[in-house]
Amino acid sequence: MRGTTQIKAPAPFPRQARRWAHDNLFGGVANTLLTVVTSLFLVFALYQILRFVFVTAEWEVIEANRRLFFLGRFPVGEEWRIWPPILLVSALAGLTVGLRTRLDLRSTIMMVLWLAVGLTPVFLFFAHGTVGILTAAAVGLAALGYIGARIWLQDSRYVALIGQLVLASWLLTFPLALVLLVGFGGADTSLGIDGVDPSRWGGFHLNILLAVVAIVASFPLGVLLALGRTSSFPVFRVASTIYIELIRGVPLITILLMAWLVLPDFLPSFSVPVLAPSGLDDIELVYRVMVALTLFSAAYVAEIVRGGLQAVPRGQIEAAQALGMSTARILALIVLPQALRAVIPALVGQFISLFKDTSLVFIVGLTEMLRAGRAVAQGQIEFSGREMEVLLFVGLVFWIVAFSMSRLSQQLERNLGVGER
Amino acid sequence: MANTSQTPASQADATRVARSNDIIICEGVKKWFGDFQALHGITTSVREGEVVVVFGPSGSGKSTFIRTLNRLEEHDEGTIIIDGVELNNDLRNLEKVRSEVGMVFQQFNLFPHLTVRRNITLALSHVRHFRKAEANETAERLLERVGIPEQIDKYPAQLSGGQQQRVAIARALAMQPKIMLFDEPTSALDPEMIKEVLDVITQLAQSGMTMIVITHEMGFAREVADRFLFFDEGLIVEEGTPQHFFENPQEERTKLFLSQIL
Ligand SMILES: Nc1ncnc2c1ncn2[C@@H]1O[C@H](COP(=O)(O)OP(=O)(O)OP(=O)(O)O)[C@@H](O)[C@H]1O
Ligand SMILES: [Mg+2]
Repeated sequence: MRGTTQIKAPAPFPRQARRWAHDNLFGGVANTLLTVVTSLFLVFALYQILRFVFVTAEWEVIEANRRLFFLGRFPVGEEWRIWPPILLVSALAGLTVGLRTRLDLRSTIMMVLWLAVGLTPVFLFFAHGTVGILTAAAVGLAALGYIGARIWLQDSRYVALIGQLVLASWLLTFPLALVLLVGFGGADTSLGIDGVDPSRWGGFHLNILLAVVAIVASFPLGVLLALGRTSSFPVFRVASTIYIELIRGVPLITILLMAWLVLPDFLPSFSVPVLAPSGLDDIELVYRVMVALTLFSAAYVAEIVRGGLQAVPRGQIEAAQALGMSTARILALIVLPQALRAVIPALVGQFISLFKDTSLVFIVGLTEMLRAGRAVAQGQIEFSGREMEVLLFVGLVFWIVAFSMSRLSQQLERNLGVGER
Repeated sequence: MANTSQTPASQADATRVARSNDIIICEGVKKWFGDFQALHGITTSVREGEVVVVFGPSGSGKSTFIRTLNRLEEHDEGTIIIDGVELNNDLRNLEKVRSEVGMVFQQFNLFPHLTVRRNITLALSHVRHFRKAEANETAERLLERVGIPEQIDKYPAQLSGGQQQRVAIARALAMQPKIMLFDEPTSALDPEMIKEVLDVITQLAQSGMTMIVITHEMGFAREVADRFLFFDEGLIVEEGTPQHFFENPQEERTKLFLSQIL
């Protein structure tokens, strides 16, 4: 690609553009007609959308209910539990990107543009009060982490150590977020802190929580299932295959409804501290939904990883065997790294759809963001009829996160791609 | 398995071997793939420091044979003893043998996700438990020996075929094997890279390494080999010095094959 364009002297821009337009848009009658009709339609659609966004729409509904969108019925005064993980994640994200990537000019511009687009709605709706300050702090930490990493850390002698610290912090973020939310040690002891009743978790916070738990848990489970399905032990192979094919044949909604309606009948009644103090058969719906999402996602992760495992050439294993490496080491050091690397795009795609699927939990009555939005549009008289604004906003928020995940995975691929054949 | 019944005999062999300097002993080695018999009873032995070249038509079982020597293929009948250790289902024996036998493949089989350095040091740190500095030093020394010290921090995909194969040789040598097996090490290479790899192998042969090399580079074979084995249809059809093969091969099949490749 690049080679061929360099050989020819590039044509002056207008001529090049004219040639491109001629070749692609106006070659022949049918082509020209198609171009004209499509453009008319696009212009019309764009006009309608812009008119709605900037003229017709009444965006007060979003600002007035931003708490509901993001936190659902989360108890007032308990928001402090949510911020430490957010701030930590911001700083770590900045550090990680700064440490791990060698950005060229093009990707830097893309990233700045992207941040601008992504952050505009944030500042439109959150530019005041404590939330505004904390949001600004999060963005600032991310920027500081990134710039700091690029300027001081990337060339430092301790870069490996810092990388490990960052990784360790990432691993700690998740437990930290959970502990802050569910509490620990029992509120009655002097050290313990109380948690927030899980049935009050809601809004976009709940979507993120469900997605993160399901992703983090279904990844290892899926890898195990994939290994099981490709294993030479019939027991593992048959069990994994049955599990994967069963789950993949059932709609997610069915599984969610089962978790809601019938799962408690199948659970024993002994109690589990913190998670299910009044018995497993009475465990909070949120936890059941987390399990359902995890079990669902694991089957898909397994199939993706299996594809990657099959793509590792037999010779790789033989070379490692000839060096005297044990089966476990071969798996961990040779096979899995290559298999997982090959399926990063597919895995991220799966995780993005899992993230979007968390909006389905409104079916079982959890107040995630979509349901919170519906409640606003239907329940608040002053905002009745503002469905479109609500849906657009909810869609935008999901899109920002999903698109970021996809960009991040592309960056990740490019940075890992050095060693590819 | 069939070979367990022969254990007492093979132990007797092992003692005899130790005296006669035979580091590889094969007795009646047979191998089936399903209904298809790939090896029809291979009996031969290799002295310490000997260089044996194996050649023969495609599908004659050359690869299968040398792959049974480090148990990448399990033999179904017969006995294989490597440096006094019998190859059977005993995992400790397998571990011992694999750490003494290095192998170089036609397709290089370098680990594409690791740098040249890591390709060489990986097994050193995880199997031999070398410390990082020691392993690195070994990698540097061996790359020097195969003539590409400057490539140490590249990935395999960034190297030419000849360079990749030389890294593969260095990787096998890092484990300090007593025996090296080569399965058509230059067949996947462009002609201009064949020599650089053969030179490394020749050097290795001259340093006294015990080697079995499958190759059809007869000029090179004649130069390095102490003995030729001619394979056809899963059997050693003829065996002897290079001189014997070039001057008066006995078997019709050998003559025919040599006339085709020379
Ligand atoms: N894993 C396998 N499964 C079934 N058949 C096999 C397998 N490996 C080898 N064979 C068969 O065994 C016979 C010997 O194969 P082998 O690879 O040892 O031949 P070779 O002499 O090395 O040939 P070449 O010169 O083509 O490499 C061939 O007929 C081959 O098809
Ligand atoms: Mg072969």
